[in-house]
Parts: sequence; C-alpha cells; structure tokens
Amino acid sequence: MIVFENVTKKFPLGNVALDNISFSIEDKEFVFFVGPSGAGKTTIIKLILKEIEANSGSILVDDFDITDKNFSKTLILRRNLGIIFQDFKIIYEKNVFENIALSLLVLEKYSYAQIKEKVREALEIVGLIKKEKVFPIQLSSGELQRVAIARAIAGERKIILADEPTGNLDPKTTWQIMKIFKKIEKEKTIIFTTHNVDIVNSLQKRVIVLKDGKIIKDIKKGKYEF
Amino acid sequence: MKDFIISIKRTPFQSTASFLILFFALFLTLFLIITITFSESLLSYIETRPQITTYFQPKTNENEIFKIRDELNASGKILSIKYINQKQAFEIYKKMNKDNPLLLEMVSADILPPSLEIYAKKPIFLPEIAEYLKKQPTVDEVQFQKDILDRLLNLTSILRNVSLAFFIYLFLMTVIVLIAITHFKIALKKEEIEILNLLGASYSYIQKPFLKEAFFMAIFASISSFSIILVILFYFQPFLNSYLQGISSLSLNILSFNLLIWPINWDFLLISFLITSFFGIFISLFSTFLATKKYL
Repeated sequence: MIVFENVTKKFPLGNVALDNISFSIEDKEFVFFVGPSGAGKTTIIKLILKEIEANSGSILVDDFDITDKNFSKTLILRRNLGIIFQDFKIIYEKNVFENIALSLLVLEKYSYAQIKEKVREALEIVGLIKKEKVFPIQLSSGELQRVAIARAIAGERKIILADEPTGNLDPKTTWQIMKIFKKIEKEKTIIFTTHNVDIVNSLQKRVIVLKDGKIIKDIKKGKYEF
Repeated sequence: MKDFIISIKRTPFQSTASFLILFFALFLTLFLIITITFSESLLSYIETRPQITTYFQPKTNENEIFKIRDELNASGKILSIKYINQKQAFEIYKKMNKDNPLLLEMVSADILPPSLEIYAKKPIFLPEIAEYLKKQPTVDEVQFQKDILDRLLNLTSILRNVSLAFFIYLFLMTVIVLIAITHFKIALKKEEIEILNLLGASYSYIQKPFLKEAFFMAIFASISSFSIILVILFYFQPFLNSYLQGISSLSLNILSFNLLIWPINWDFLLISFLITSFFGIFISLFSTFLATKKYL
C-alpha cells in the first residue's frame, strides 16, 4: 500500500512540484497518473523511490514511513520496487539476460540457477525468451522497453513504477507494451505515468489527474478526457 | 574473472593505465628489495672477514707473536684474535690452490708467513691497532680493510635512506594515480551505478567489482614485474658470477633465519615476490577503496 498525506515538494529555486497532495493506492491496484509536463508525475515516482525528499507531509510505502528522518531502509524499500523509464535505462554492455539478472543479483540472495529460472520467467512474460543472449544495441525501442519491464518484474518486486514507459514508442509497440502490463496487473501494484489518452481510456483503470502539483481529479475507474 | 575481463574491455585505457602504474611501482619495489638485500648481505659478508690481517716475517718466533697478541688483547679494544701458524697457512694455501699442482709444488710451509686475524670491538679502533702493528719489527705487512668497510657501510646506509624516500614517493604517486583512474572508471559507469542504486544494490555490491578488478590487476602486475626481474637477473648472472668471484655465498640473517641470497636462491626470490605481491595488493585495494569511498 502506498499512502501520500499532505505531501509538498518544492525545488531549491522555489518551484512547487507537489502542493499538499494526498492519495492512497491499494496493493495490486493499477493507477494512472496523468497531466501535462511539470504537473508532478515524475516527482511522485522519485519520492516513492526516495531519490528526493518531501518538504512536508508523510509517505507510507508498504508500512515504511519513508519521510521519517530516521528512515534507514532505503535498500529494502527499493528492492520491492520495479522501475521502468521512458529512456529504458538499460546497460548496453550487458546482454538481455544479464540486464534482467541484475535486478536479482543486487538482492544477493539467489543462486545462479534460481536467477536463471526467474529471468526466463520474466522473459516469457515479455516475449523475449529467444533474445536472452542478444545485446541491447541489436534491439528495437519496443524490445528495449520490454527488457526494462522484465527487469522490473523479475523476482519479488511488488510495486512497479512506470514513468512514461510508452513515451518513446510508436502506437503499435505501445499496445504491445500495454498487453504486458495487463498480464502483470494482477500480481503487482502498478503506478503508470503517461500523456497517452488512448491508453488511459482503453484500460479503464483508476486515473489521478495532476496539474501544477495538485490533484485535480481522482477517477476510480473509467475514461478520462484531457 | 569474467567480470574482470569485461571491465577491462569496457574501460581499456583506464585498465591499462592501472596495470602500467602498478607494474612500474612493483617492478621498482622488487628491484629495491633485491638491491638492498644484496648490499646488506654483502656488508654482512665483509663484516665477517678479518678486519685487520697482519703477516709476520716467516721466521718470526711464535712467542714474539703471542706477546703481541696478548698486548692487543690487554688493550680492551679487541673482540677476537686468531693466530694462523705456517702449517695452517699452508693448509689454507693448499685448499685454495687444489686445482693447480704447479703452484702447490712451488710453495712449502716454510716460506708462508704466520699471521694474526684481528677483529676490533669498534671500527674506530682499527687505525690505532694497525699503527701499533706496523711499528712492530717482526711484522711484514698489515692488511687493513677499514676503508672498504666504511665505504660499504656508507653506501648501504645511503641506499637504505634513498630507497625509503623513493619508496614513500612511489607509494604516494601510485595511490594518487590509481585514485584518479578509479574516479574515471566510476564516471564512465555512472549510469550503471545509478541503475544499480535504483534497483536497491548495496554499497558493497557496487564497490565489489572495483575492488575485485584492483585485486586481479595487482596480481597480474606483480607476476609481470617478477618475470621481468627474473629475466634481468638471469641475464646478468654471468656478470655477477665474475664480479663476485671468490665469494662462495651471501646470506642474510633475518630473525634468526639464515636466508641465502647468492648464488641465486629460489627461496629468496619467492619471498621477494610474495612481499611485492602483498604490497601490490595492498596499494591497489587501498587506492580503490579510497576512490570508491569518495566518488561512489
């Protein structure tokens, strides 16, 4: 469960990224965050990842109060989060298998055989099982994003943070990626930021609309018109 | 090992620079270890030779020699005196020239001089003792090695001090260069490190590949420097053999363990290699540890 309570984030130059926002997301819920650029979507992702700190308010992620000054379990927090970015953030010197395995290796608890099994499970889900030994340079944008999704879902990461994952993709590839999200939605909590109205409207999931750092709408299930 | 090779492939110039600086430092360290050990063992060897050898006229009465010996002993400046009579001198001569029967035929015990081999308590007493002996009418020749000993003592002391200063410089230079190279490597892997951080990798997990690479680099650098030193040593062995002609062996007493230095001894070389390797591993890991602590 993720709970934001009266969270405000201001950047050093004074611009307000989030202005006293509150919301909660249940386990295994699929939530779209939509809004124009600068609305605060990526700031929410960064706050959950604890890449940046909130100026005020509290954020609970899986019972961890990550805004507590004494919070020291960032590693444990991040090991529960799967991240997907618009620019993929793939390591080009490692092949597909190694990129995905990284997500499990950092946990320092799986044997090589277990890692192999879990990576293959993830590759099956994203449809790249035949490309495990291929290097990223040989993949298309859609395939790169699928590698990033496989890395995010491999293992026991409960929450998937997808920051505009279809932003760099053509419509056809976008729908292929969305099919993967449909496959995993029952297993994971998914936070998905996007500009794409078609995606939001076709999936009929909860939509939180942001504007100038404020929540202007929280639609439980349904379509949204920008 | 696979990670080490991949890392070299990803940052070839930085890895080569690391290797070269480590190789340079370890080669010089090994060279210094061998040179200092060699000069120290040479010094020990010369110190064990008689510091003054005085030869008497062949027909000198033994009692006169004993009188001089007793007077010297009574001076309180003598550590020990060994008397070599004509027969003993002839035995030594025979031993030294056993391969040359012609020389043996030409010499008999009668014509060899009796001698005293004198060891002083302190080197400063040596000129005084030599002067006293030269004044004795029965003394034919006084061989006094103080100059050689002093020169070697000075040389060894200078070598030791210069080596220490050079070693400190080498250590600092290597550490600073390795820190700079590791900083470059971290900068080149910035994106990967960022991804690892976001995936929840621990600090030690991110640091480990850098330390592993530093360890293997030190091993390879020490093996390479040792191989080159071996080649040089064996190449110059004939020259050293002729230079040290007459010295059957050189050894060094370390913590009551007698280590043979010359002729070339594999135990000594192995110890030198191990010391250099440990130094290499330490300096490499230490530098990488400092760099990762600061820049990761």
